[in-house]
Amino acid sequence: MSVASRLGVRLEPRVDVPRWMNWAVPIGSFLSALLVGSVVLLITSQNPISVYQRILERGFLDSGSLSNTLISATPLLFTGLCAAVAFRVGFFNIGGEGQFYVGAVFASGIALALGADAQSWIAIGAMILAGALGGALWAFIPGILRARFRTNEIITSLMLNYVAGIGATYLIFESDSFWRELSGTGAVFPKGKIIPLTAQWPSFDLGTLVVPFGLLLGVLVAVWLHVLQRRTRFGYEMRVVGGAPSTARYAGMRPARVVVAVAMLSGALAGLGGATDVGNFRHVLDPKGLQQSGFGYAGIVVAALARLNPLAVVFVAIILGGITNAGYALQGPDFPAGLVGTLEGLILFCTLGGEVLARYRIVLSRRRPEAMSA
Amino acid sequence: MTNSVDPKAVTAAAVAAFGISKRFPGVIANDDVNFEVRVGEVHALLGENGAGKTTLSNILTGLYRPDAGHLEIAGSPVVLDSPREAIEAGIGMVHQHFRLIPTFTVAENIALGAPRVGEGPALRMGVIEERIRELGQRFELDVDPRARIWQLSVGEQQRVEILKVLYRDATTLIMDEPTAVLTPIEAEALTSTIRSLTDQGRSVIFISHKLGEVLSVADRITVLRQGRSVATLDADGATREQLASIMVGREVERVERRGTGALPGAPVVLAVEDLSADGDRGTPALRSVSFEVRGGEIVAVAGVAGNGQRELVEVLAGLRPRTSGVIDVDGELMARADARHPIRMGVAYVPQDRLGTGLAPDLSIAENLVLKRYRRPPVARPPFLRSSVIDAEAETLMAQFDVRAPSSHTPTRRLSGGNVQKVLLAREMSGRPKVLVVSTPTQGLDIGAVATVHRLLLDAAAEGVGVLLVSEDLDEVLALADRILVMYEGTITGAVEAEQASIESIGVLMGGGAAEDVA
Amino acid sequence: MSVNDNLFVIILASAIFYGTPLVFAALGELLSERSGVINLGVEGMMLLGAVCSAVVAANLDGPAALVLPLALLAGMAAAALGAAIHAFLVITLRVNQIISGLALTIFAGAAGLSSYLANVWGLGRNPSLNQFGRMDLFGLKDVPVVGPILFDQTLLTYLSWLLVGLAMVYLFRTRMGLHLRAVGESPQTADSVGIPVTRYRYGHVIVGGMFAGIAGACYSLTIVPTWANGLTSGAGWIALALVIFGFWRPDLTLVGAYLFGALSSLSFTLQARGIDVPSALLNALPYLATIVVLVLVSNSRLSRRLGSPAALGRPYEREER
Repeated sequence: MSVASRLGVRLEPRVDVPRWMNWAVPIGSFLSALLVGSVVLLITSQNPISVYQRILERGFLDSGSLSNTLISATPLLFTGLCAAVAFRVGFFNIGGEGQFYVGAVFASGIALALGADAQSWIAIGAMILAGALGGALWAFIPGILRARFRTNEIITSLMLNYVAGIGATYLIFESDSFWRELSGTGAVFPKGKIIPLTAQWPSFDLGTLVVPFGLLLGVLVAVWLHVLQRRTRFGYEMRVVGGAPSTARYAGMRPARVVVAVAMLSGALAGLGGATDVGNFRHVLDPKGLQQSGFGYAGIVVAALARLNPLAVVFVAIILGGITNAGYALQGPDFPAGLVGTLEGLILFCTLGGEVLARYRIVLSRRRPEAMSA
Repeated sequence: MTNSVDPKAVTAAAVAAFGISKRFPGVIANDDVNFEVRVGEVHALLGENGAGKTTLSNILTGLYRPDAGHLEIAGSPVVLDSPREAIEAGIGMVHQHFRLIPTFTVAENIALGAPRVGEGPALRMGVIEERIRELGQRFELDVDPRARIWQLSVGEQQRVEILKVLYRDATTLIMDEPTAVLTPIEAEALTSTIRSLTDQGRSVIFISHKLGEVLSVADRITVLRQGRSVATLDADGATREQLASIMVGREVERVERRGTGALPGAPVVLAVEDLSADGDRGTPALRSVSFEVRGGEIVAVAGVAGNGQRELVEVLAGLRPRTSGVIDVDGELMARADARHPIRMGVAYVPQDRLGTGLAPDLSIAENLVLKRYRRPPVARPPFLRSSVIDAEAETLMAQFDVRAPSSHTPTRRLSGGNVQKVLLAREMSGRPKVLVVSTPTQGLDIGAVATVHRLLLDAAAEGVGVLLVSEDLDEVLALADRILVMYEGTITGAVEAEQASIESIGVLMGGGAAEDVA
Repeated sequence: MSVNDNLFVIILASAIFYGTPLVFAALGELLSERSGVINLGVEGMMLLGAVCSAVVAANLDGPAALVLPLALLAGMAAAALGAAIHAFLVITLRVNQIISGLALTIFAGAAGLSSYLANVWGLGRNPSLNQFGRMDLFGLKDVPVVGPILFDQTLLTYLSWLLVGLAMVYLFRTRMGLHLRAVGESPQTADSVGIPVTRYRYGHVIVGGMFAGIAGACYSLTIVPTWANGLTSGAGWIALALVIFGFWRPDLTLVGAYLFGALSSLSFTLQARGIDVPSALLNALPYLATIVVLVLVSNSRLSRRLGSPAALGRPYEREER
């Protein structure tokens, strides 16, 4: 038997997690992701240093780049909150993507229905509510199926992403729906109607920085969620149901109801993101654009990196928003599409591994290989 | 290889341990343990929970490697690096919690990981089944090789465990608390199995914390205390008192039965009539059970696990729907199967699965203490929770119930078993209940914590609470109860006043015998 | 018009054609789950397999009989690498299996490594030269009804039948299969009788990845010859549902895969026939059917009896006190 196979790796839980680890682990994980990423880049004959340098410049340092980063961060903030809230109670909603589309459909629908005569604050308010409602309804399906039939929500919520995508595409490309522009060039090239100016959301100038209203809304929602989870009865129920479902039942809570409620809350957050997409940025229902962006999936990365903490989601969304924004800005032959997703995935992998190092000490032991089964 | 060894022909010990030590982070589990098991003898390892018995058996079966010391088998030193090596060396383990796969057949379970039969990778079930039948005849262990494990009784499952070890030609069998799950009658059958094993040259290491059975089964006894082997003595001539004092190393606080029980005329706080319910498989598990508990009384429900006790307490706690029957709490009918209802009516419940059901392990002690009162003032000021109130109440309750923890913000999963149980009892009693239902409250606790829990239960009764104690531990039942109900296959087979009860009489009822058989 | 142009025959034949990648992917996931490890990275591994086999098939000169096996191997190796990352994270580091699997799909998926590699290696510009064509097995292609259904499929389909058969024998007739099932049901029990739990888990997760790689190659080498990002369009997720639907048995999973193959091919088949059905509805059909089937299965009494491996999703560690 070789020496290597006799050397076992064992994980021993740490009694106390040193305080510095709370910072060192995420930073270390991030750096190792960049390191692994540069291996990938080298294999595919790209220059890692110049790639990272350009991401840093176009995402954060160049003039105006930070404003664009905030635009990219806004949808990620909402989908990140969507995943974070649901994962906390053990409801693995990966349908943020579809709930985002449905939110966009609802919000653009109400904006178009209200027309140009509606007062701006009414139109925006209605879009927020409609978007949230749309997302909540779409998330209600996997929620109730899980609560009622114990159907695996991961697969159902994911399947609904495809259904929502097909549905949105149908509205613009395969039918003469209310959302579709039928006059002008729209008669030839299918596209959505642009929402009235009064329904378009404002952005605020802070010096050179432009902050979209949607981002402020998202930060507000994140703070609200933090208070909800930490200080309220419902938040307490969420924590018990998430960590110990049978204890929740024992204590007279109704885990099924809590799960459905959280599923809808989670969907509402993604739906809000969809409303932001229409109101603040695209001003139109754009199914192809939505499906290419994949905000819902990226939101899972955001939530996992933020360790499901709503306040941390804000921070992570801005970092990943920067990388995403750089990806858009740089896209071309020497900055291939897919690189951003690859880097995000690597960061996620390294963080997952890194967290284990924070919770456990690695003990090398001269033991049989089976000992590694730990 | 053949295993019929003439005990007299062999002088070396079957298994011997020299200076075995094993440390875990923060604990010394085994500290210089020495003992030797002679060929053909039953050697008991006696010790209370936490004395290091489990660690020692894991070392003997190759799961752990000792930090110091060594093992000898038949006189030569061995290093056991894996369960497989232990098996090859002739050591087999009969686990307390059976290592059997419920959906597999008996033969599949036995063949699992065993040396292959014939050439090639194919499974030859016919050959395997034949060999199991032969072994069964030889050692009087009757079981159908084609039956699936979930269809078997607990006693039969244990036979499969023993066969599994014999199938691998084990010469030394380690049995870890083998009687814990058996009825007294099944336990007797096990004793005769053990005799038939030793008669045919096998050695048995019998791990237990029960003095009585150790004295009756073992030839020699090694006592473990706090990880050390403190004495080895012959079973002949040893007494319970002697063993107890070696095992504990100090005088044990013994909680005595108060004898008095409910005052005459004390109100009935819990009346159950004609109660039936289904088990998890959808078949009847509780059949038409009726009884009463008065305020200040401790009524024990004795029985072997799996005879409807779990279903009974779950129905009382509103966690399982009943199929028929009436529950009356202090004159008020319990209507629906819903956990909120019994809580509001004053039924407190300490479940068997303390960390999995009774507490939220990741939440703090303080948060767990308000688990049943978080909805209403003063804990809640809807929609918010008042953390100042929660913290203040936690301090009070932790002092009152002597919960030892770094702070009230410590997650409950970090607590020892005894403190976990104190948190649970503190929370349940803080709701000022009329009825307290407790399920196997001392299982897995060390002797000191057992005494504390018993005292808390007696205190509760003294305050006028009606206590329903479900326990498999007959010593505990006899020490605490005023009345004893025995359950068998979902019915109450007998109700005995504590004064007239004995282990023997209850044992007969636990095995399904009628009350008349007792006399 | 011959009987073999009958709509029913065509639907069945294309059910098998489009169901083949699902068979591979579900079979791989089944092996992984039988060992107790859920891998939600199937979609990502499939895309990795698809891109790597497409790259080899498009860029390697040589006879198809040499290039195609190499392409397949490249796809298998790439997907197995993805599976190995998952295995390391969840088995050795005990990371939550759901999160790790999602991470794998995001990392390798439509917006990640697979599209990056396709871009870097210039897929899409050069459509693949080598494809797995239909193969007239035993010259029985023109036999009425069964000919086009069973004997006019690609080599990959025949391979999938072989593997399903082998998997059945392996799981239920060999010692290793028995051990595998034991590891998935109760790793404690398996460990206590000396079965190397970790090795079994790593092995089957990685082999599962290889199968997902073949599934991906089914797309890039037969079904969707020119590269498109995310060309598997959720088949990996449907495969996950199929494992549940097939009660963790290879034979039932095969049946399920063909059912879904039929649904996914319906829109092409019907349109080719000039039958007018809203294509959005047909496109959504496989996804909606997956949901319906999952609900039916999760609600039935049967699934509780023939349920999932008892230790599915749970990391195994020896009790250290």
